[in-house]
Formats: sequence, C-alpha cells, structure tokens
Amino acid sequence: MSIISLTIDGLDIEVQEGTTVLQAARKAGLSIPTICDHKDLSPYGACRMCVVEIEGVRGFPTSCTTPVTPGMQVTTQSEQLSTLRNCTLELMFSGHPNSCLKCPHRELCEEERPQATKAARTTRCGFCANRDECELREMALDSGLNELDLPTIYSAHKLERDDPFMDRDYNLCVLCGRCWRICEKIHGKPAINIIHRGKWARIGTAFDKSHLDSGCVFCGACVDICPTGTLTDRFARWQGKPDQSVATTCQLCPQGCSVQAQSKDGQLQAYTMPGFDKEDRLCLLGRFGAAQILSSSKRITRPLVREGDDLIPVDWDYAYQTISQGLLDANGTTVFLISETTSREERYLYARLASSVQGLLLSCTTEAGPDDPKIQELAASIEQGKVKAVVTNGFFISKEILNKTAFSLVIDCMESELLETAQAVLPAAVLCETQGSYRSADGTVKQLRQCSQAPGDARPEWQIVCSLAQSLGKEGFEFDVLDAVTRLVDNDAPPAALEKDPRENSREIVTRFRGHYVADIVPSLAAFDVPVTLANDAGDGRKKGFALLEKQEIVPNMHFLTIEAPQVARFAQPGQFAILMARETSERSPFTLVDWDKEQGTISLVIEEVGRSSRELASLRAGEHIAHVSGPLGLPMTIENTGTVFLGGGCYGIGAIYPLARAFKEAGNRVICAIEAASSYLLYRQDELAEVCDHLLVGTKDGSLGIHGGIAEIVSAISKQEQIDQCVIIGCTFMMRMVTKLTKSLNIPTQVALNPIMVDGTGMCGACRVSIDNQTQFACVDGPIFDGHSVDWDELALRRSAYRRQEVQALPQTVDLNALMHSHSGGCGCGRKND
Amino acid sequence: MSFQTIQQQAKTEWELFDRPDRFRILVGSATCGRAAGSQEVIEKFREELANRHLLAETDIYEVGCLGLCYAEVLVEIQGKDGRRILYQSVEPRRVADLIDAQLVQGGIYEPLAMACTQSETDTSIPAFSDLEIMQSQVRIVLRNCGIIDPTNVEHYIARGGYSGLARALQMSADQVIEEIQQSGLRGRGGAGFPTGMKWSFARRTESDRKYVICNADEGDPGAFMDRSVLEGDPHAVLEGLLVAGYAIGADTGYVYCRAEYPLAIERLQQAIVQMHEKGLLGANILGSNFSFSIKIKKGAGAFVCGEETSLMQSIEGKRGMPRSKPPFPAVSGLFEKPTNINNVETLAAVSAIMEKGAAWYAGYGTEKSRGTKTFALAGKITRTGLIEVPMGISLRTIIEDIGGGVLDGKTFKAVQTGGPSGGCIPAQYIDLPVDYEHLAEVGSIMGSGGMIVIDEASCMVDMARYFLTFTENESCGKCVPCRMGTQHLLNILTDITQGKGKPEHLDTLRKIGATMKNGSLCGLGQTAANPVLTTLTHYEDEYLEHIDNLKCPAGACRSLIHFSIDAAQCTGCGACSRACPVDAISGTRKEPHAIDQQTCICCGSCRDACKFEAVLVS
Repeated sequence: MSIISLTIDGLDIEVQEGTTVLQAARKAGLSIPTICDHKDLSPYGACRMCVVEIEGVRGFPTSCTTPVTPGMQVTTQSEQLSTLRNCTLELMFSGHPNSCLKCPHRELCEEERPQATKAARTTRCGFCANRDECELREMALDSGLNELDLPTIYSAHKLERDDPFMDRDYNLCVLCGRCWRICEKIHGKPAINIIHRGKWARIGTAFDKSHLDSGCVFCGACVDICPTGTLTDRFARWQGKPDQSVATTCQLCPQGCSVQAQSKDGQLQAYTMPGFDKEDRLCLLGRFGAAQILSSSKRITRPLVREGDDLIPVDWDYAYQTISQGLLDANGTTVFLISETTSREERYLYARLASSVQGLLLSCTTEAGPDDPKIQELAASIEQGKVKAVVTNGFFISKEILNKTAFSLVIDCMESELLETAQAVLPAAVLCETQGSYRSADGTVKQLRQCSQAPGDARPEWQIVCSLAQSLGKEGFEFDVLDAVTRLVDNDAPPAALEKDPRENSREIVTRFRGHYVADIVPSLAAFDVPVTLANDAGDGRKKGFALLEKQEIVPNMHFLTIEAPQVARFAQPGQFAILMARETSERSPFTLVDWDKEQGTISLVIEEVGRSSRELASLRAGEHIAHVSGPLGLPMTIENTGTVFLGGGCYGIGAIYPLARAFKEAGNRVICAIEAASSYLLYRQDELAEVCDHLLVGTKDGSLGIHGGIAEIVSAISKQEQIDQCVIIGCTFMMRMVTKLTKSLNIPTQVALNPIMVDGTGMCGACRVSIDNQTQFACVDGPIFDGHSVDWDELALRRSAYRRQEVQALPQTVDLNALMHSHSGGCGCGRKND
Repeated sequence: MSFQTIQQQAKTEWELFDRPDRFRILVGSATCGRAAGSQEVIEKFREELANRHLLAETDIYEVGCLGLCYAEVLVEIQGKDGRRILYQSVEPRRVADLIDAQLVQGGIYEPLAMACTQSETDTSIPAFSDLEIMQSQVRIVLRNCGIIDPTNVEHYIARGGYSGLARALQMSADQVIEEIQQSGLRGRGGAGFPTGMKWSFARRTESDRKYVICNADEGDPGAFMDRSVLEGDPHAVLEGLLVAGYAIGADTGYVYCRAEYPLAIERLQQAIVQMHEKGLLGANILGSNFSFSIKIKKGAGAFVCGEETSLMQSIEGKRGMPRSKPPFPAVSGLFEKPTNINNVETLAAVSAIMEKGAAWYAGYGTEKSRGTKTFALAGKITRTGLIEVPMGISLRTIIEDIGGGVLDGKTFKAVQTGGPSGGCIPAQYIDLPVDYEHLAEVGSIMGSGGMIVIDEASCMVDMARYFLTFTENESCGKCVPCRMGTQHLLNILTDITQGKGKPEHLDTLRKIGATMKNGSLCGLGQTAANPVLTTLTHYEDEYLEHIDNLKCPAGACRSLIHFSIDAAQCTGCGACSRACPVDAISGTRKEPHAIDQQTCICCGSCRDACKFEAVLVS
C-alpha cells in the first residue's frame, strides 16, 4: 500500500491507497453529510448526500464510493453541491415523516415534551422512539428543508410486529441499506434485503416471510446500525437514548460473549454488539433477553425468612443471623448448588464457604434443572438424611426435595416455586448489576462490569457470601473490595462450550438461566420452541363482553371503533366518556364518546394507539369483543346558545369535538370547527364535521393543507375576523395549553377536556386529580370539561407522565404470542400452524 | 474440422434451401409474426397444401423478422419457376387463394402481393429493395433476419457467418481490437462508448479469469431491436461474443436475456448446441488455442438490470441493483473479475465487421458515428417497423420516406428517441441528422433505438407522464434522487394532466429533474427526468395551458376535455352511441345526438366511431 497525496478544499492530504475521498476528507477534519455510509460497512452510494466535485471527473461523484487517486483535486463545498445536497435531502425527507421539522412550534413543543411521545406508527419526530439519536434529523436540522417544498409521501406500511423482539416501522425507512448490508457482512447470506421496486421498494425478507422463518437469528445488528427509528428493539424502544455504555461480558451461558451494556438512569436497556464484525455477534438471548431478565417483575427484591407458612421480608442483618442459626441447627452436611454462570470470584467464595463448613459444592450447568441426574443423586442423599442443608443460587432442585432438608437457603434473582418451601431467600444482583470476572468457554478471562442498578435490596453474591460466612464466624472472608477476591482466584477451568452456537441458529439458545426457564421470564422466547411452564394468556377474552361492530384505522394510529353498548348509548350526552378494558386483565382506559345511536344501541369512539391498553384495543378486529365498557361517565358539556362557538380538535380531539359541534349547532349557535394535524394525511372525519358546523378550518404543522400551524394560528386568524363567544378545545395537553394561553389574552371563555390518568372513573381512586383554580377536582366526576384558563397545566403534565417508565416497560408485553407463533407462512412441514 | 470444410458443408445445405424442384414457403415467425398469427397461417398452409396433395413437395420454413411490422404476417412463396413473391397481412382465410394463385396457377395473388424478392425483378410488382421502407435502409445487423432459417447454423455460415471469427483467430487479440477501433463502432446499448476502446481496457487488466457478457436485457417500452436479432439471427450475436471473448482474453461468456423473450432464449440455446457440434465453442475453437463457453442467464425483467453493474449483480444471484463506478467492469466486474459487456446489436455488428473489415463498416455513417443503427419505429406513423439505417440519415428520411409519414394524415409534432431515458425532439428539427452528437445537441439521446412518432393529437405532458409511470415503477429504489424523484415527478405530472397543476410546479419539476440528473447513482435515474425536461424546454406553453387555463391543447387529457356533438354535422346514425362504453350518448335515430357530460368518461370512442366529424373536443 502506497501513500497517495491529494487536495481537498485546498488542503494537501496524504492517505493510504484504497482510502475513499470521504475517509480522506474526514481525516482532514472536513465534514461531508451522509446517511448510508458507515465505518463498518463497505461503500454503497445510495443516499447521494456525500457528492463532491473532482477536477477532471464528470458530474458529481459520491465521495464514499470514490477511491483517492494521486493528485486528485476535490471540492466538498460549492453552491451547486449545496443545492444538490439540499434537494436530495428534501427528496429523502419527502418519504420520511417530517412535519415536526417544518412545525412552527417545534422548539416550544420539544421543551415541554423532553421525551418523545409513545405511538404505534411514527408519524413525526415527536412520536419517534429514535428522536434523540436520529442521524437523519440531525442532518435536516443542519441543512434545513426549504429548497423544494415537496408534499410528504407517506407509504402507510403497517407497523411490523410479527417477530419476538423488534418493532419495524418501514414508513421511516430511507433505504440507506445499512441493515441488510450488516446482515450480509455478519451472516453471509442476508435474511433481509431491499424487496420490490420503485415506490414499493422497501426492506423485507424473501417472499415476505416472517423474520422467524426468514433465517434471521435476531442478532440485533440491523437494529443497532439503523440511523432512523425504522428498526427498534421493542423492549428499549421508548426508553430514550442510553446515558451509559459499558464493555462487559454476557453471563447468560458459558460462551461468555463480550457485550456493550447500554443503560439509562441505571436500568439496562440492552446488551449490544461491541462492534460490527462477525466475531462480535450475539445470540438473541444476549441481545434481547438480558435487559428483560433484569427488569422482570419476577425479580426477588428483599431478603425473606420463613415464619410458619410465610416468607417475611426482613433486613439483611436479621436474615444473616437467622440463616447462620439455621445452618448450625441443621447440624450436618450442607450442599451448595452453584450455577456455572456465576462469576469466578463468587464461585471461589462459595467454594471457600462450602469447605469451611465441611460442605460440598455442586456446580450446576446452564441447562441443569431439578431433573438433572446429579440433582437426583442429591435428592436421594437428602432423603437418606446424609445431607441436612442446601444452599442454592438458582432453581436447580424441586421444592419438594428442598422441603425435606433441615435448612434451605435460596440466593437468587428470580422467583420460583422454591419460595414455597425455602427457609430463607436472599435477593442477588446478577449480570451487569454486579462486577467480577468470567472465564468464557474459549478460556479467556473477561471482565464483568456494572452498568445497571439491582432492584430493591438485592446485593452482589460475593458480598452476601462474605457476610454470611462472617455471620457464621468463619475467617478469611473479610473482603471490602472485589479485587482482593479476584487475586485469589487462579487457574479455574473454563466451562464446557455449548455444543451448538446459538449465534448461528436461533433454536439453539440456552433454555435456562440459573435453572429458570428463560421463556418464563421473557415470554416472547416461546416463539423459539423453548420449554416454558407459564401459560400465555394473550388473545383471551375476545369472545365475551361487548361486541365490536366496526373497527377501522382511519389514519395512522387513529382507530374508529363502534361498539354494541345499549346502556351507554341510551344515556350518553355530549362531552361524556366511557372506560374500556380490552381484556379481563387490561387496564381501564377512558375515551371520549364520539357518537352514539340510542336506537341501534351503539357507541363510537376514536382511539389513538399509544401504549399497551390502546394497543390491545387497536389490535381487536370487528366481530371480537371488548371485555368491559362502562359509561357514560363524566359531566356532560353545558350546551347553551352563546352566539359563535369555536371548537378546536387535535389528534383524538378531532373525533371528540364532533358531538359537541352537533349539539352546539342544534342549540342555534354559529359553530366554527378547527382541526389540526401534523400533516394532511393525518386528518380525518372532515366530511362528518363539515356537516355539523358552519365553517370548518384545517391547520397542518407542515403546511401541507390549510393554515401552516395549528388551532392556535386558526384562533388568532378567526378572532381578527369575527367575535368568538365560546371556545372548546380538545387534544393533547400541549395544544390545549398553548391555545388557552392565547384565548386568555384574547379574552375568549375557553373550555378544555382534560385527559389525566384515570382508573375507576367514578371518583373513588383520585388518580385523575387535577387542580382548577388551585382547587382539587377529579376529572372523572367533576370534569372532564373545565375552564381552560384555570387549569394547573404543569401539574397535569407531571401527573400524566408519572408512570412513563412502567408504561414503556409494559409495551413488550403487548406482543400477541399466539399470533407470533402462527405468523408463519406454512408449507414447510414443520408442523406449526398458519394463522 | 477445418473452417473450409465447415463452409463447404454449409454451402451444400444452403443450396438445398433454394431447390428448383420444390415449392418453398417462408413465414415470418419471430415473436412479432407469431403475435400477428403466423402459427395459424402455417397450420393453414399445411392443411391446404395437403388438400391439394402439394405438401410433400413443399418446404415450409419459419424465419425471423423482416422488420415490416405494419405488414405482418409476412409470407414469401417461391414456385418451381423460381419466382419469389412476398405477401403482406396474410390471414389464414387467404391461404387457399395464395396457394391456388401462385403454386397451382403459377401467377401472383395480387391483393396481398407486396414485392418480389428474387434477384431478377418481376415487372408487375416492385422489387423488395425498391419498397419505400427499404430504399434508405442498410441492413448489416439485420443482414440475415427474415432471410435465413435461424435454427440452421449452416444457413448462417453459408452467408458468411463465422468467417469473421475464423479471421479473428488468425489475428492477435490486439489486432482484433485495433480492427474494431478502426471500424469506429460505438456501443449500441445507448451510451455510444467506442467498443474497441472498451475492449482494450478489459484486455489490459491482468487477471486469471475474465468474462464477456452480451446484454440482451432489452427493456425500453416499444423497443424490440435486440429481440428481433436474437430470434432471427442468433449466431450473428454469439459470433460477436466469441470475438469479444478472444479479444479481451475471456474464456466464459454470458448472455443475459430477459425471460419474457422465450423464443430468443430457445434460439440461443439451439445455436449454442450447434456451435458445439461444429467445434465453434468449447476447447480449441477451430483448432486454435482459444477455448470458450457460453452460458445463458435469464433475467426476471427488471428494467434496471439492463444497467451493466445491476446486470452483473443479477448474474451473481443478487438483487439487481447498480453500484458506483469506479471500479469499472473492465477492472472489476462479474464475480469481481475484469468483464466486458456489450449489447446485442453491437455484437451483431462485430461479427459483420470481422467478416467484411473495418473499412467497409466505417464507410457508412458520419465521421464520429460510424456504421448503421437499428430503430424500432413506432407511434403515430404509417409504417411501423424495425429498420436499420446508416448513421447521419435525417429524421425526415426516417419518418417520411421509410415510415411513410404521420398516420392518418395528421401533423407531425415530435419524435421521442431513447425511450424513457430519452427526450422529445420537436418538429422543427425534422432535418436533424440522426447520430450521437446531433441527438445530444437537442437534449435527447440515441438510446437503444426506440423511436416514437408523436402527432398533433398527443399531449406532451401526458407523454412525459407516461414515461414517468414506467421509470417510477422500474426505479430499483436504491438511491434517493431516482426513487423519490420519479414519484414526485409523476405525481406532479398527474396533477397537471388532471387540472390540479400549480404555476410553481414547473420550477419544482426542473429542480427535481436537475437533482436526478446530477445526483442519481445510475443511468436510469440520471436520465429518467429527460422526457420531462425536454418537453418542458420545447413545450412549456403546453404545460402552462394545462395549469393556467385548465386546457389540454392536444385534447388528450381526459380531465381537461369534454366531448360534444355538432348538431349541424350529426346525421343521427347512432354509431357513436353504440360505441360509447358508458351509454352517455342518447338521441333519436336520424336526429342529432347528445352526450351526457356527467356520464361521459372522455374515452374518445365516439369521435373514432363518427364518420361525419360531428364529435367535437374542447
């Protein structure tokens, strides 16, 4: 390789032969925009943003694909290049939801809503899980989108959720091709590629098979390399940009792969690949399972000791005392059942403790469970009274056998049936909640680093073992820091490697973690035919309850539902709402009544698909049933003849203002309706609204239809033309707040329909508490309609986001496992059924 | 077997093709002939000849296409008197008359007789070469089409075939390249890159393995030059491929042919078998050190696979998508080996050049554009067909003399060359010489040879819209300017033709067009805006009429026109109302009829049906 000299923007640069112009420019500190280029991928030349001018070369070559040649004269900035790049960027953005970037309220909106709003399909940056990391958005903010003024072409692809771990929204895809190229680089034959042509071109699998059938092994590289929000990890999707990234080692099986642990606010989001090379790849359990294991609702969080039939939460000191007393009282051999995936230090300490109490240590392999022959042998010894006590750091023994010991201690992270018979239970910090070292199957010793906070009182096992030993009066356990232990550990044997590499075949993942079936902890793993004991109840309750007569996604994320609910329809009045539960186990969620038919006994609602509850409703099909519908709830709107009434609706509010408009019109008012949406393709029910009002106005945040802006702009325009006597605004908190601020200055009496978190809807729980003129009111029984100028908006916004973390964590649970396992195209003879 | 022996055998076989003791019937049976019904005609000949007990003394051959599309099915009948007559528009019901007239009675069936094709002309009808459509043509690439039996290698050899290869094998590879360079041949796929120079690049790259590819992925709508050559004279192309392989030092050739050309593929497969039998393919061809094999790769029909880098990806089994150059195929092409890729027509010209010499070929055409070019002449023209003319011929000669002028006596408005990648050339340039340079000067391209004649009743906005529907569909989706640009261009053009255009649209069209031209990855995207940009240059008024006045001057855009009946002209014959597909026309017999504007879909059937010019468009 020789050195080549060239000139870029007048700078003399020397680079290795084979370098591309883009790499050379970067080396010189020059920045050229690009999306499809990635340092770990070979040149592709699809986004056409990195065009440059080269003397003697016709046209505008892409710098990412052009190798340097001696004496080359490159220009990276010129008026022509800038026009070309801006037009290209605008063309790219015309196929990507972009209204936030053209919205006049963007800065205020992002200030008030620092986190992106959850949604099913992403229709704008504000509703994008990737907002804070989006390379496309960054490029647009740098360049601006003002060259062509093109309408957005929204391709209306459905949100692809038919695989266990990813949400794929191809409406955001700009076909940079990074995903399929990294797939090809890592796996040879890519499971995905561009399919179809022209405007139908998109990323997909061969013959549009599901990812489960496409040969995809769910290494997650495509998710991690995607510059947009197209490919997302369903678990981490709405958690935001990680604030910590630590190189550590995966402890889920003996392989001990190097991983990069990504966490935010002390919670693990995912283990990702340490690099984008073949040797960096992970199995699906490591990539998508680890974070779900750590955040499982089955985690043990407090020390527990048995008193009679119950395990009682206690503090650590009491627990150690009770346990050491119990072990002494057992007065006989103690067997330690220790997982082979425990860190080297902890295994060393367990062994030291075992020998100091003349006990035995049995190392339990990854796949070991209560039916393992070694455990069967132990069971016999326990029955014969040869073994008196058991200490286990996993679910390696049955609760019945454990019950036959004189004393039993479980030191584990996850609940199991052992909690029914164990004498004491200690919560362990595991995986990247703790530190240490790990010998991987290839023999190398790798570091375990902490990146996530253990839940509750859970502690690292090395601390637990030392404290317990000291409590037992044993010496040689006085360690304050782990390093001291590490120095004592030497030549431990590497664990046996797995027979088949789970990174090559998704069906070869380990099925247990510390004896627990992983599919019991991460339900979507059931899609890989691994054993599971817990029943999956997804899809139940669709046959009983209130018949869903009609269901249609009228615009992306907005679902129009007509439900048979005669009692609700009979008493419904404008401004009221109903509470729905999709299934028996669902959350109760309130929705404004959009229409009702007393004779037919039906009600209609518009549901915006946002989180788990709305997703459950949105995924129902006409003919299925909704478990519960209660209503009508709330106080009806006071309808009087006040003169000119202005009704403003955004998002679900477009549907919600309809019955109000009709009632105000019937009461003899002049009714002006205004609706807003991010872009023209998100507006709905215009014809219906036009029929019940005198004047219908439209505003879009990207200016694609009507006024460029929203309800606020429309109000200020109308108020200059005529007097508005009353204003009613329904929509997101941000919009209602902005409009009420304006109408206050204009002196227009304004009412808003508030949307706090609500549970029972009858004034009992107090969840929907709002402050109106500093008075506490309940939105369910005192509202939902209040004077907009008296609302404490800050409090409302705060209360609405109080459960954001739980809401985000609930999202992966909306996967319909039945559908997932049957999403399969069939015909391969594997025996799995078609849907 | 020496090449002399092969030629000797071929000569014997060729003589058998022209036997005075037998009747001979040639039926044009390329795909175009078949579409017009040649198979039914052949069946009928067999039946009628058998009825007359003449079948045993008659040879029927299926030959390739003579290029007279307007006159299909073409049948040439040769009696035992040696008189050969070419008949046009033959239908099965005329077959009996043809046999009786010529074979039984020894005369000519005059209603269908078109020309006589034997060397001494018959006085009653013109000689084939004197036909207006033939007069200005020079058939080099199409030298054998319609004349020989394409399934018979002996016919090809007897007419000089493979002597060019034999000559090449006597020369050094560099001499062969020099010969092609001397001929001035330029790539006939569209871009017009000098063929000899291209070969020299591939020759110069050192490698253990090299490939040559014949690009037979003809994809322009309305273009069928390559198909005709492959169906009518497959050996001409394969011989060219062999010469190219020898010249650059390749041992393997691919023919990438779209699967929609099943007959062409069949002919190629037969030809390859025959070449092996003759020792023209395999190890040590014609006793030389040159060994070569040919593989046929069927393409699935994506337009972009006609682009060389996409085509090679497709052969490799990948998704057909272009990649950036450099590296050029001559350096790193198929399977990352040096590769030379030429189009069908180029290779068919190569075999002719090697047979007759560079100077002979260079004698045709202009200084920078040597030789001949085939065109698929289509659109609003009297004689549609496949023609081959020397470079530099004027558009007027092609359209007026060869094509017989605009159909139905309408006024000539423009001609579109180069298919969806090309541009419209307006009537004022009718005397433009047709060569690479002059076409580029007026914003169009030579392209692969599509030539669509446009008359006054065609709307240029609608024309551009038509081509954009094609490219929008065929964009591979890889690069942004092409994928998104074609969609926006099409959407805007559709809006304009539907009366929803805005004045600022023209500027947007130009900007998107420029972005696509300057920013797209491959030729498809770089040229896809050409139909829009050239019509905008020459017919901006027409766009503005649509936008400002909501009028389509050509009366073609359905949303902007309406049909009415001129009561003064209407005779009440009812032909219009019978033709109307939506029953929008009513009226009493012998009274003027009327069109219900609400129901009318502006299809124009009534106007076509009216014999009294009573249907008006406004």
